Amino acid sequence: MLTLNRCMQALALCAAFAALPAAAETPQDILDGFTVEAKTEAPDFQGFDAERGKLFFNSTHGNDWSCATCHTSNPAASGKHAKTDKVIDPLAPAVNAERFTDLKKVNKWFKRNCGDVLDRECTSLEKGDVLTYLMAIQ
Amino acid sequence: MLQRILVWDVPTRVFHWTLALSFAGAYLTSEGERYRDIHLALGYLMLGMIAFRLVWGFVGTAYARFGAFLFKPAAVVGYVRSLLSPSPQHYVGHNPAGGVAIFLLLTLGLLIGLSGLGLYWEFGDEDLFEELHEITANLMLGVVVVHIAGVLISSVLHRENLVRAMFTGYKQAANAVSITRSYVWLGMVMALLSAVFLIVYLSGS
Repeated sequence: MLTLNRCMQALALCAAFAALPAAAETPQDILDGFTVEAKTEAPDFQGFDAERGKLFFNSTHGNDWSCATCHTSNPAASGKHAKTDKVIDPLAPAVNAERFTDLKKVNKWFKRNCGDVLDRECTSLEKGDVLTYLMAIQ
Repeated sequence: MLQRILVWDVPTRVFHWTLALSFAGAYLTSEGERYRDIHLALGYLMLGMIAFRLVWGFVGTAYARFGAFLFKPAAVVGYVRSLLSPSPQHYVGHNPAGGVAIFLLLTLGLLIGLSGLGLYWEFGDEDLFEELHEITANLMLGVVVVHIAGVLISSVLHRENLVRAMFTGYKQAANAVSITRSYVWLGMVMALLSAVFLIVYLSGS
């Protein structure tokens, strides 16, 4: 019985670890990463700016879509996919605690969505500005 | 004495080309959100086609049945080796290597479709399904490339146009039996349903 108990304990421990989220970044960690990148990309980097991020977020950059096309101009609200009408959860970490906690996901979606909106990848300055804007929303 | 015999029924041919086109189209629309509706529609279509094929593999015409192209590993190795020899083995239906490709493509297609459904309808583990969706799609592309190469090589070695056979259903063969029914109506229903589904789905969004 003792060994069985041990097995159960080990199993419970494994289950507890498996239930942990794969990544444990905070939005601030991710922003710090953008800061490091932005400094190497531009030696005259002066820091991120929420207002610039907001402008970027709502601008169509000469194309037909902006970030706000799907995410709406209120990142604290749910958005709607321009092609499938599927609900998109709010982007602002203050409203949606899951946002910007997994670097892999952040990179994946910036890459995908910048491609759709700007036809290119975003710079670290642009990503940092947008994240600063999103983190400022309460 | 070579005879012109019917090998592939119409539903099998409609399945083949619809699967090929839906996979190619879904692969090309996978990057970004701009064509997400098309990507989803083609994914549903691919899953529907695979579901049909799984049934048809048991109740379909002779050469389309799974039993007709489920070979032992030794037979697959033997066939591939014979392609390098002066007298390559010849099969009227799917050859052993082609049979392997079909089972792989069906399995991968199912995994791609189910993980895709999970990602869109939010069931299952998102991270796991994302990885699975991408990895299986790339594996399937690899199998498709090998499959196309195999078709071309076999076509040259056996001096028969396998691509044309998948369009017309006919092959030249000696001592082989023609299938008795081509199920034209079923193939037409499949093609019609596919077209209607795509039009309705894509005009709705």
